[in-house]
Amino acid sequence: MEAKYDFERKYREQILLCSRCGFCQAVCPVYGATLRPGLNARGKMLLLKEVMDGRIDLSDELIETLFQCTTCASCTHNCPSGVPVPEIIKAARKDMVAIGSCHPAFKGMNEVLKKHTNIYAEDEAEDFGRQKKPAAKYVFFAGCVGLYRENDATEAALAVLDKLNVDYTLIEEVCCAGVLEDVGFALNDALVQTNIDRILATGAEAVITGCPYCARTLNNKMQYAPLRAKGVIIMHIAQFLKDYDLGVHTDKKVTYHDPCDLGRHCGIYEEPRQTIRKLAPNFVELAHHHADALCCGAGGGVRGAYAKNSIDMARRRLKEVEEIGAEVVLTECNSCVHNLGNAKLRKQKFTICTTTQFIHDLMEETD
Amino acid sequence: MEFESYNMPDELYYEPNHYWVRPEGDLLVMGMDDFARKLAGQIVFVQLPEEGKLLKQGKKFASVESGKWLGKVYAPVNGEIAAANEELETNPGLINQDCYGVGWMYKIKPDDMAEVQSLLHGTEAVQKWLVEEIAKFAKGA
Repeated sequence: MEAKYDFERKYREQILLCSRCGFCQAVCPVYGATLRPGLNARGKMLLLKEVMDGRIDLSDELIETLFQCTTCASCTHNCPSGVPVPEIIKAARKDMVAIGSCHPAFKGMNEVLKKHTNIYAEDEAEDFGRQKKPAAKYVFFAGCVGLYRENDATEAALAVLDKLNVDYTLIEEVCCAGVLEDVGFALNDALVQTNIDRILATGAEAVITGCPYCARTLNNKMQYAPLRAKGVIIMHIAQFLKDYDLGVHTDKKVTYHDPCDLGRHCGIYEEPRQTIRKLAPNFVELAHHHADALCCGAGGGVRGAYAKNSIDMARRRLKEVEEIGAEVVLTECNSCVHNLGNAKLRKQKFTICTTTQFIHDLMEETD
Repeated sequence: MEFESYNMPDELYYEPNHYWVRPEGDLLVMGMDDFARKLAGQIVFVQLPEEGKLLKQGKKFASVESGKWLGKVYAPVNGEIAAANEELETNPGLINQDCYGVGWMYKIKPDDMAEVQSLLHGTEAVQKWLVEEIAKFAKGA
C-alpha cells in the first residue's frame, strides 16, 4: 500500500525499529513533567505506526502529542534500536501542517516571521551601543533570544569580545529561521538570504554565535550552504573562547548545564568545560551531564506552546542543582538561561547565567 | 467601572503600562489590570524580586511573560519591594483567574505615599486613557 504521508515514506523502517522497550521514557523531559506515556518517544512511535497502518489518521487530536516534544534527542541517545526520533517528529509535524493540523502557537510563529525579523514580533532590536562596522574578521550573531529576551547575556558576550580585542561586528541580523522547520513549516528563504547577504557583506571569515541553535542552523541547513561555500566558518562562542587565557577565577562551586543543541546535537561537551575549569577549580557535574544531560524544556517550540510543562521540565533540572549545592549554574544557551531562570524558585539562591556572562562579571570584579 | 468589557475598579490607581495600585495601610499593593490581562493571555511567568529591592518611579523592575509576550513592569512610585506574591511562582495563572484579588503581584513600601496621586485615577481619567489604549492595542487583537 502506498504511503499516505511523507513521514512514512522517509522513516517507515526507523519507526518500525522501535521495540517498545521504554528506555526513552526514563529520559524524556516531557514524560518527566507530565507522566503521560503517550507523550514520550515510544508513545509517539506507536501512534505513528497506527497512522501508517491506517488505524488512525493525522488530525487535530494528535497536535498535543506530536507538537509536545523538545527535540532534545535524549530518547535517541538512549534508544538501543537507534530510532532518530527528533527527525521523525519533525517530518510528522510537516505532514500535520500540510493537512492544516498545527498548534496555533507555531502557526502564529510562521505568520510572525513573514512580517517581522524575529520570533517575538519585536520592532526594535537593541544595538548594544555599538556601531555596525562595514568589515570585520568576525560577525557576532546573537539570535532572537539573545537580542530580545536575554540582552544582558549578549551585552556581556560583546564586552568580553571587546576586552579580548576581537575584531568583530554586529549585523542587522534576522531570525535564523531554523525553528520553522522544527515545527512543521519550511525555512523562510527571505530571512535566510538576508542573513547570508549581511554576513558576506562584512567579509568576515567566521560567525560567532551566542546561540547554539543558530550555530546548528547556519552550520547544517542546506539553505545556508552559500555561506559555507564562501568559506565562512560558523562557531559557537564556547568554541571561540576555549583557548583564551581569560585571567579570572572564582572559588565558587560552579556547575554546567549542557544545552541539547550544543551537546547531543553537535557533540560539543568539552570546550565549555575547558573554559569553566580554568575559571572555577571548584567545578562539579550535575547528576545528569554530557550526553545524559536533562533538557531544560525550552526546545522544539515547547516553551512557546506548552509553557507550564516547559517550566516544570526546567524545575526538574534545577532540583539537580540543589542536590549538588552549586552556587552558580553556567550554560551556553540563552534559551536555557531564560527557561531555567523563569523556573528558579525564590528559595533557590544559586545564579544562572551563560559562561560568557560569568566571565564578564568576573572581569568586572577584577578591574 | 466596566468599559468596553474591561473591568477597571474605580477605587484603584493605574500605572500607564496597565498595572493597578491600591493603598493598603502604609503599603501599596500592585497587580496587572484587566486590559493587560485580556491582551496578554495565559500568564506563564512572573518575576518576583526580593524584598528590599529599591524602586525608582518609571523604571523597569520586573517582567511578566505569556507565551511569546514579554511585559515589563515599571515602578509606579519610588520606594522598595515589601513583599511579592509567592503563589505566582508556581501558579502565575492566578493573574488570569483574579487579577485584582489573589493574582496581586507586589507590595511596595513607598518613599512618599502622596506619589500615588501622580497615577491615573477616577472614572473620567481612566475612561479617556482606555479609549486611547483600545485604539492603540486592542483593536484586532
